[in-house]
Amino acid sequence: MSARTEHGAFAGTSRRGRLRARLATPGLLGLPLGWLGVFFVAPVCIVAAYSVDALSLFPGPHQVTLSVWRDFLHGGVYLHLFWKSVQMSLVVSTVVVLVAYPLAYYLALSGTKRKYVLLLVLIAPFLTSYLLRVLAWKVILGNQGVVNTFFAWIGLRAADHPISALLYSRFAVMLVLAYVWLPFVALPIFVALENVDQSLLEAAADLYASRLQAFRRVTLPLSLPGVVAAFLFVFIPTVGEFITPSLVGGTSGYMYGNQIVDLFGTGFPDWETGSVLALFLLVVIAVLTGIFARFLRVGQTPAR
Amino acid sequence: MDASLSKNGRRLLRGFFVLVVVFLYAPIAVLLIFSFNNAEVPAFPLSGFTLHWYREFAGNSELRGTLATSAIVAAVSSVGAVVLGVLASIALARRRFRGKALVSALLLSPLVIPYVVFGIALLLLFHTLGIPRSIVTVMIGHVVISLPYTILVLVPRLEQIDVALEEAAYDLGAGPAVTFRTVTLPLILPAIVSAFLIGFTTSFDEYAVASFVVGTRATFPIYLYSALRFPSQLPQVIAVAVVVLSVSLLVVLGAEIGRRRAERALGAA
Repeated sequence: MSARTEHGAFAGTSRRGRLRARLATPGLLGLPLGWLGVFFVAPVCIVAAYSVDALSLFPGPHQVTLSVWRDFLHGGVYLHLFWKSVQMSLVVSTVVVLVAYPLAYYLALSGTKRKYVLLLVLIAPFLTSYLLRVLAWKVILGNQGVVNTFFAWIGLRAADHPISALLYSRFAVMLVLAYVWLPFVALPIFVALENVDQSLLEAAADLYASRLQAFRRVTLPLSLPGVVAAFLFVFIPTVGEFITPSLVGGTSGYMYGNQIVDLFGTGFPDWETGSVLALFLLVVIAVLTGIFARFLRVGQTPAR
Repeated sequence: MDASLSKNGRRLLRGFFVLVVVFLYAPIAVLLIFSFNNAEVPAFPLSGFTLHWYREFAGNSELRGTLATSAIVAAVSSVGAVVLGVLASIALARRRFRGKALVSALLLSPLVIPYVVFGIALLLLFHTLGIPRSIVTVMIGHVVISLPYTILVLVPRLEQIDVALEEAAYDLGAGPAVTFRTVTLPLILPAIVSAFLIGFTTSFDEYAVASFVVGTRATFPIYLYSALRFPSQLPQVIAVAVVVLSVSLLVVLGAEIGRRRAERALGAA
């Protein structure tokens, strides 16, 4: 990297300068890393301590044990719920990517002049309140909500027979999650498509490739990292989601994240089991992030 | 010939784009319409125009109090995140040190932690240390959440700036502090402003982590969430929603336009 050699040359102008540059790094990183150490890494370690009973909500004698982990892995109930959340999240991520791809393709490759304005129009809803967008769907989907009363009003359905599956269902959760994340997902795909070298497409055309062939063999493979990043950008936050299911999910839309919240709630708190569930989710996501780290850098300038 | 799209393909995609934009904005429009509807329940048919809900919201001191609390939490936590973010970004963009990949991964890792996990982790930390929950504990959590966003905005900007400018300041005898204040800071100011705005909006809207560590003084999302369980407050909440959504849309658009202008001006200079 050229900036680095320039910097080295500058530091070499005086010994004191070089020393200063070296000493400055702990000074710069001390605060941010210290903050994350105390308020991010340490808390996760405490969760781990709770998960093996090294710490406990109820005082009294207890010893380190893996029994909560064993119950979790063999009990089936929680893992079943985890699998259900994974499935819902997979469907949401897939649908959202499939919808966002053509949008990003249109913006990046159709040669429209106002592509950045249009991109902003697409993304703007994502930058507004999450809770309020969920609230909007509660208003729309309820038994006495906009859709049902509209149907009753125009006579499509009797007022006393609303489509009650609209709200408080798995469908409602997935619809709202897709709505919430759709604008965001177009961005990484757009960046990947923008970076596709247009001359490659011209070359394909010169060699008598049809547009479909050029898309399948040039554009699509080159944009795939953006697609993977987009997919993960939705999958990672939605698999542990609890706000949307608690507002529009009812019992059938109940997700793994809700279970974690309830285990730390006021009803029947079980912090040990809750910690196991939380840590398991964290490990799964850390592994996913580790495997796909290089895709997640799309559209960002990695600091190196 | 256009190698990527036929004429019909372009028309088809444009139609699809319009449809999706309608889908994205329709729920917001529904809120807007029903915020002016003269009925306790948001339902068809519409029953007349009223400003009643806006007046009620304006007179609801509890609600305004939570908005103020959220503004304070958002301001303090985003300033904190920006300060930490500037320090970290300078280290990442300007210094060589061992373990840089690891440090940068750690600094960005709050981006991928599920908020429910981070929320309970913070709860357990404060419980273990015996620290009572309050808006301060919410601020602490929000600094962690916003920090990676500020780094993602600041590092690319720092990398665009020619290092020679800073070297020149050093050569002319300026120390690190003076160099930063007179050279680096003015150049990254637009990025600092966007980092602040991102942190502010993130915190202002944050429910998941706050729900675990908030004390008796509620932030706006906490209030909103509990209000959603009382149907009688719904029309009022919808009116607030419209105000908050409009303001945040304006801020977002304004910030983006401002950033573009500032960067164009700096690029031309």
